[in-house]
Amino acid sequence: MSFRLECKKIRRTGLAAAFLAGSVIAAALPVINTAARPDTFSSMTGSPAAILSDANLQMISMLNLLLITAGACILYHIEYADNGLQKIQSLPVRESGLFIGKCGILLPFVLMMILFETASLCFCGWRWLDAGKEELIEMLQTLGFTLLLTLPATVTALVIASACRNMWTALGIGVLCVFMATMLSTDNFIASLFPYALPFQILPGMETERVIHYCIAAVCETAAACAAEIIHLKVRRLFA
Amino acid sequence: MNMIQTRNLTKSYGGFTAVSNLNLHVPKGSVYGFVGPNGAGKSTTMKMFLGLTRPSSGAFVIDKMSYPHNRVKILREIGSFIEAPAFYGNLTGEENLDIIRRILKLPKSTVDDALELVDLTPYRKRLARKYSLGMKQRLGLAGALLGRPPILILDEPTNGLDPVGIHEIRMLIRSLPDKFDCTVFVSSHLLSEIELMADHIGVLNHGHLLFEGTLEELKEKASFEGYPDENLENMFLALIEEDNMRRGGVK
Amino acid sequence: MNIFTLTAVEFKKIKRSKILLILIAATLILWFPNILNADLNFDMSDIGISPENSFFIQGFMGMAWFIYPAVMVVATVILVQTERTNHGILKMLALPVSTPLLCLAKFIVLAVAAAAFILFMTAGYYIAAAAAGALNDYSFILAPDYVLPFAGKLYLASLPMVSVFWLIAVCISTPIFSVGAGLISIVPSVLINNTKAWFVYPMGYPFYLVMTEYGEVAENIGKSQMDPIPWIPVAVGITLICLLISCLCFGRAERR
Repeated sequence: MSFRLECKKIRRTGLAAAFLAGSVIAAALPVINTAARPDTFSSMTGSPAAILSDANLQMISMLNLLLITAGACILYHIEYADNGLQKIQSLPVRESGLFIGKCGILLPFVLMMILFETASLCFCGWRWLDAGKEELIEMLQTLGFTLLLTLPATVTALVIASACRNMWTALGIGVLCVFMATMLSTDNFIASLFPYALPFQILPGMETERVIHYCIAAVCETAAACAAEIIHLKVRRLFA
Repeated sequence: MNMIQTRNLTKSYGGFTAVSNLNLHVPKGSVYGFVGPNGAGKSTTMKMFLGLTRPSSGAFVIDKMSYPHNRVKILREIGSFIEAPAFYGNLTGEENLDIIRRILKLPKSTVDDALELVDLTPYRKRLARKYSLGMKQRLGLAGALLGRPPILILDEPTNGLDPVGIHEIRMLIRSLPDKFDCTVFVSSHLLSEIELMADHIGVLNHGHLLFEGTLEELKEKASFEGYPDENLENMFLALIEEDNMRRGGVK
Repeated sequence: MNIFTLTAVEFKKIKRSKILLILIAATLILWFPNILNADLNFDMSDIGISPENSFFIQGFMGMAWFIYPAVMVVATVILVQTERTNHGILKMLALPVSTPLLCLAKFIVLAVAAAAFILFMTAGYYIAAAAAGALNDYSFILAPDYVLPFAGKLYLASLPMVSVFWLIAVCISTPIFSVGAGLISIVPSVLINNTKAWFVYPMGYPFYLVMTEYGEVAENIGKSQMDPIPWIPVAVGITLICLLISCLCFGRAERR
């Protein structure tokens, strides 16, 4: 019910168009990158998934994160801009339902972006790097891993957006987080657990134990962000 | 002599005509009241005078100058107040006026003068975004009065003011032609209000000019056509009603 | 009405807009981690760069790659939004001012903000280098006759990028989308810098300049060339076209 309402609310905000455009750009990047210098890539050693993700995933993840941040800001901006939230608060619904509804909107968009990117990387592998069925499956695993590791940042972005009445504050915090994530060194396991740094971790070549740790961390961080939102809503109501 | 004159002025957006073949005559030195219900096309007409929107067809002349080639010259003579208050929220009332003053190249004293005219002097140092609706409205008026321009275009200047404020602004507008030797073009959706300020009146409905003339002429016309004339508001409503009926019951 | 008076008016408009605060905050965020991680610069033997050069280049690389373009995107949107939030632009359009001149005056303010950021960055560099030096008992400070001309070059190289951001902010009137488009335009700059056609993408110029300098001072980093032809003519052309279009489009949405 709240999902359908949320779908209605994003009409004419341009959110869907923004994500579609973002997905197309993100999908175009690897194709352009590979098409511009196929020889460089085909002469590299390693599996197609490893080569392509090394060359592109950083950039793709950064694009994803920026879009997620902007998307989360728009989703909550429509609530705050003309006091829509106040109306919702005065209706007999749970406020946490609103947050779940927003997640329900943002996550399919993230999934769509990653699907576009997967298709693009698979195409590059098939077209220029002679990737067979097994290599393509590895590619799917790589992007699936990225999707899982993007979840904490997605939910965190929504928590930040819901906490900031002013959209620009939320956007500023988000952009700073993305920037900090690019500055953090990837060797340090603890530092790489920062929600915005997780999507920059690349599956090919990673030890199995570390992969499992990252998966557990992603699930835990997502749950923690949801819990933080619920606590935040309770506290806000308490002091309202 | 007419200060503002239009010839078949028309503005349409897509299939919708906001202003249709308007022929206005605003005499020099008069207070011209422009009345009509919400959405009649008053603001659109005023925006065309200020170059904020381009006429679809027709033309207008302001102080013998025509748009668009004399745009900047025309604007130099007009003090304007349009729609919702337009200001910079991060600046104080005084700073907002100072920006306009610098662009118009006026002496510094004009800012104090304008603040004094609209009774904003005590709040000059307050940020404009912290102003109440009425104060924002006064700030907009002060911006229009800055430098005492020969033509004033005011779009619903008493919107959002309390009864005392409405009375003050009304008195101020009424006194302007004598005080500064200027022509005032003022709009409102209340005829009862315009009646207290204006000596010439134009009635607009659905983009069409239903009447233009002095207050006396309006009363004469009303009694001639058998409208209840004891109350001008009733007469106005009857005028609009009849026009709407003629348009096939469109309200 | 001349451009100087208008520019003075534009500076008055950004009072209390927090642009300076954002510039300073960005400088702090950039240099603070660099001071704490300064000891990493001693471990650069495989790249063949001296610790002081490494400290300088690493800091400016972080700036040129993301934080400088991002800060400029935000500053641009703040400038445009001061006009739009309370319809200030309507008042401006109803005053006897030429709209293209108004647009140009705003761009000058933006260019000055960019200059201020480079200045803060350079000042921040010296403070950070001194602090890192004190922590590690080593002098990280480079001579001003090397640092200042480099900062100047970086500024000039970034002007085409600033004009593109200005165009985006003027033409896309929904603020969140103009910020989004601006930020996203930064991301592919690294990719395009790796190709021969790097000079067609202004968002990559500052980073390319820093990378060229990196190649100069480090022995084992691939050298890249920054040939003035065709770069300079293309850059000037892009800047002029962006300014022209933005001057023509400015205020158009409000003037329907």
